[in-house]
Amino acid sequence: MKLALREMWRRPARFVTATIILSLIALLLMFLGGLLDGLVRNSTGAVRAQRGDVIVFSSDSKDSFLRSTIDAELRSRIEAVPGVDRTGGIGIIQLGARVPGKGVRDLADTALFGYEVAPRGVPDTVPPLGQAYADSTLKASDVDVGMTILLGPRRTPITIIGFVDDTNYLGQSSLWASPATWRQVVSENRSVEALADGTFQSLLVAGDGSLSASKLSSAIDAATSGTTRTLSIDAAANAIPGVKEQTGTFNQILGVTVVIALAVVGMFFALLTVERTGLYGVLKALGAGNARLFGGVMAQAVLVALMASAIAAVLGFIADMAIPPGTVPFELGVARVILSTVLMAFAAVIGCVFSLKRVLRVDPASAIGAGV
Amino acid sequence: MFLALKEMRRAKVRFALLMGAIGLLVFLVLFQQSLQNGLITGFVGGIRNQSAPVVVYSVDGRRNLQGGVLLPELEAQVRAVDGVGRAGRLGLSTFTVEAGGKQADASVVGYDAEGLGSPANLVKGRLPSAVGEAVASEVDASDGFDVGDVVTLMPGGYTITVVGLAADVQVNVTPTLFATFDTYEAAVRSRFGNADAVLLPNALAIEPVAGVTPAQLVERINAISDEVDALTRSDAATKAPGVSQVQTSFRMIFVLYGLVVPFVIGLFFLIVTLQKTGALTLLRAIGASTSKLVIALLIQVLVVVAAGLAVGVLLYAPVSQAKLGGIRLRFETTAVIVWTVVVIVAGLVSSIFSATRVRHIDPVDAVGGGGSR
Repeated sequence: MKLALREMWRRPARFVTATIILSLIALLLMFLGGLLDGLVRNSTGAVRAQRGDVIVFSSDSKDSFLRSTIDAELRSRIEAVPGVDRTGGIGIIQLGARVPGKGVRDLADTALFGYEVAPRGVPDTVPPLGQAYADSTLKASDVDVGMTILLGPRRTPITIIGFVDDTNYLGQSSLWASPATWRQVVSENRSVEALADGTFQSLLVAGDGSLSASKLSSAIDAATSGTTRTLSIDAAANAIPGVKEQTGTFNQILGVTVVIALAVVGMFFALLTVERTGLYGVLKALGAGNARLFGGVMAQAVLVALMASAIAAVLGFIADMAIPPGTVPFELGVARVILSTVLMAFAAVIGCVFSLKRVLRVDPASAIGAGV
Repeated sequence: MFLALKEMRRAKVRFALLMGAIGLLVFLVLFQQSLQNGLITGFVGGIRNQSAPVVVYSVDGRRNLQGGVLLPELEAQVRAVDGVGRAGRLGLSTFTVEAGGKQADASVVGYDAEGLGSPANLVKGRLPSAVGEAVASEVDASDGFDVGDVVTLMPGGYTITVVGLAADVQVNVTPTLFATFDTYEAAVRSRFGNADAVLLPNALAIEPVAGVTPAQLVERINAISDEVDALTRSDAATKAPGVSQVQTSFRMIFVLYGLVVPFVIGLFFLIVTLQKTGALTLLRAIGASTSKLVIALLIQVLVVVAAGLAVGVLLYAPVSQAKLGGIRLRFETTAVIVWTVVVIVAGLVSSIFSATRVRHIDPVDAVGGGGSR
């Protein structure tokens, strides 16, 4: 292994091309992954931030917040289910927001939530009528604490009283307000969609700890005779339109990209091994075992993959900083970099297996008289 | 040529690996091209392929048909603009529906009259002529949206009968039903049940009078108020939220793939050339000209690239006919032609390094053992 690393140290030029190609492939993995993470995070933050175990939808809503309705009678049946500790109604309306000082046509996309149980990062006390906590992404639209923004065509005023992170919904900046504020905004701007007092779109449920989330879901749906469909928080986040499809498609593309990385590593090190056949013969004649020689090839491959991943990570983070907000939903996190690096290292190890046969086939006797 | 092909025959695995890698890259690029176009058509096909030359949103709608409403006073102002021929209401709402025995998401688009938001690419059946009828997106016909199928909207139980199919008219990547505004209104009211509330249109569909172009009319309408956002049909599709984000994201991905292809080909042939430097030196010593060796190299590059392209297109062809979730993929002939040219040029350019190596081989090195180095 020492010999392999020394070769890389003394003859780095030999490995430059492979490192460049793998850097590009690693950058592709990180870019695609970063896009996926950005898209998913931007869509699901509001759901992931919910402090409960499950979310209850009406069964005919197809798990859509906007199409679900839970009335007071249904809610009381849910609250009577053994294992339910507390419940909180949720209502959403998506509207454009006029921000003071911005152009008359320059509106911010917002999703106003009426909540009873505060999500992560929002104080437990529900804000007074006409006030809301805003997702920090609204800062990019020059929204600040104390500012009053105007929602919808009827210009319903909402005063911002604080910020909260990572709570966006379907790519729109969230606003967290009281149920009364939500009802007022809906009735003023979309009166047709207004729901009766006591009725919410969905219900957040926190269990008392006696049941797992899946058992709690089953118990609630059984108690409502199937008029509800109850999902865990993660499942509700995945049920947001487009999330499952985006994740599936991107993961398939990432998978094929890893296979390409594997082919490149395999190709490069197979050729490098062919080049060194004579040298391996001499090393074997001097007593070096197959494991040692193959271990050297693998160490080189993994090191090249790690270097490529490091270069790609730097480029990826630069891209993350350079891309203006709102243009491309790219978000490169440490977890994505680690995952991409592991995949690259995996591709390097598997790619090296193509060289194993050649290393095993080298006959030490060939060293005698060979033109090495 | 004989030499080049013979070498490839003798080192099948080596060359097959490269062809496979190029094939996978080409497949991925073409697949993503189809995915990009399919996504955009799924999102805004219904806007691009509706019949009104001009669409007027409220600024609040952020160019999202479902996102805003036109207040009555604003609607009246727009209808009064000089150059407006016919004008009609447009509405869009999404529903849970039961179609083909299964629950599904669906969008219902309501329009007032033919030519003012009706689907333009009718491929089967007819336009709706009565309340409770609709034209559905053709791609969803097999999912319970074919002519004659009855779609039930939930939770109200309102039913819509499909009387026609139109191509590329999805919105929100869901099965889409184009119906008269009355049908649309009945559908929305069946869900919310607020009989007293006024259902406002999400947008207006406008046809200019003769002699006024859609672009001129857009300018006139936008001049009347900062509250309206008038767009030509094509702008309404291309400037819809998310479309440019999708295009920019995919463009960056394509650039990265475009960079990987020449590097992979270049690396491969450079290493192969380095490996056989000895043999090439001997060939030069026994009279083979530099041009002959370079031509052999270029032939190998072309064969490998052509085979890689063939593998990529063969993998892509069946996948391009698939339906991915709600997205209909298509075989993108233009993309295949463009990427074929790009990959061939990239392959040839990347072989310059190997060709330079071959040109620098000195036959004198063969004398005294250099050839066996």
